[in-house]
Amino acid sequence: MSLRDRIWYPILYMSAITLISSAVILLFGSLTRQRVQDNQLIAFERAVLGALGAGEQELSTPSAIHTAYSTLIREPDESSAGAFRFIKDDSLIAYALPLEGPGFWAPIKGVIGILADRRTVTGIAFYEQNETPGLGGEIVKGAFTKQFEGKTLSDGDPALSIAPVSVVLDEHTVHAVTGATQTSTRLAKFMNETIADWRTRMERKE
Amino acid sequence: MVRQRTGDVVLAALWGDNPVFRQILGICSALAVTNLVLNTAVMGAAVIFTTALSSLTVSILRKWTPRIVRMMVEVLIIGFYVIIFDQTLKAYWPDMSRNLGPYVGLIITNCIIMGRAEAFANANPPGLSFVDGLFSGLGYACVLLCVAIIRELLGMGTLIGMPVPFFSTPLWDRWIIMVMPPGAFFTLAIIVWIARTIQPDKEPKKKVGI
Repeated sequence: MSLRDRIWYPILYMSAITLISSAVILLFGSLTRQRVQDNQLIAFERAVLGALGAGEQELSTPSAIHTAYSTLIREPDESSAGAFRFIKDDSLIAYALPLEGPGFWAPIKGVIGILADRRTVTGIAFYEQNETPGLGGEIVKGAFTKQFEGKTLSDGDPALSIAPVSVVLDEHTVHAVTGATQTSTRLAKFMNETIADWRTRMERKE
Repeated sequence: MVRQRTGDVVLAALWGDNPVFRQILGICSALAVTNLVLNTAVMGAAVIFTTALSSLTVSILRKWTPRIVRMMVEVLIIGFYVIIFDQTLKAYWPDMSRNLGPYVGLIITNCIIMGRAEAFANANPPGLSFVDGLFSGLGYACVLLCVAIIRELLGMGTLIGMPVPFFSTPLWDRWIIMVMPPGAFFTLAIIVWIARTIQPDKEPKKKVGI
């Protein structure tokens, strides 16, 4: 009876193959883990800086982004109700409010920048989304995000509106991406909920 | 098994037995990632990498692999290479990794790779299996790129993100549906139709009778 005909041979063989390939993957994973985590961190930091319009110059390399972030941005504290703070010369310039909610296919994560007056929007940026490339995915592009710069939050609800291209814009409204109605509707919903919630918590402090 | 020449294997994988329009395999991802040319190119590269190396590995191990567990071993090998590719993308090209989302991981279930392992690598020497896997992946990538070029051009007026004359001007009303899922079905069906019309029909015509 040869080795291959033994009843335990397939079990032993399968175990050996599994063990070898898992070991290689674990090794490979541990070699790249740090890099993957760094990439995620940099993506978040880039979004925060982008939304605040802070340190625009020379932000092409990951180290430049990280340096700018470390010097300009402070973690959220009691006074900011969950928003990151943009501090320059010891004075508060703006808040960076993290946004997170369901998109059309997968969660959308982003940051909206709001000046210290808590009315004027400095910008918006997204660091995680899985919307349809070419349609909902266009929300990360400048054509969509640049519209937010300089808009003001309205006192009522919703604070900001994302309207179809046919609608005439006002200071609280931006145009949606054509063909991405679902993405725009969902984004507007969770963005306004987050802003409303944040404003309530900020007012409670005063 | 009849010994096969490398040239025949290459030609069959690219045209005569093309995985997409002849075998209609792996079209799930052909439909999902083909609305932007750049995403499609990376997806194609991932499939080429996986089919070539998994066919090679399956072929090297074929003499020791017990028949009753061979499909488990094949899936394991395929999964192994896909994870390596996915991890590399996450570490060195995070933006692209974000664009492709779950589709890189889903290559594990791409029927082309399993199909080549079962139909070819199991019964052929490693060198030839590698060539078969490589060109099957290439045959798949070529069709995907054709679909992507048509979809991005008609739907967005761009190619690899760059504006194309006429198509990116107001003269061209962008066909949004081409970027949406239905656009993939239309385009792929038309490509399969054209390819099958050009190819001589291999199957003998059956007489239709009652």
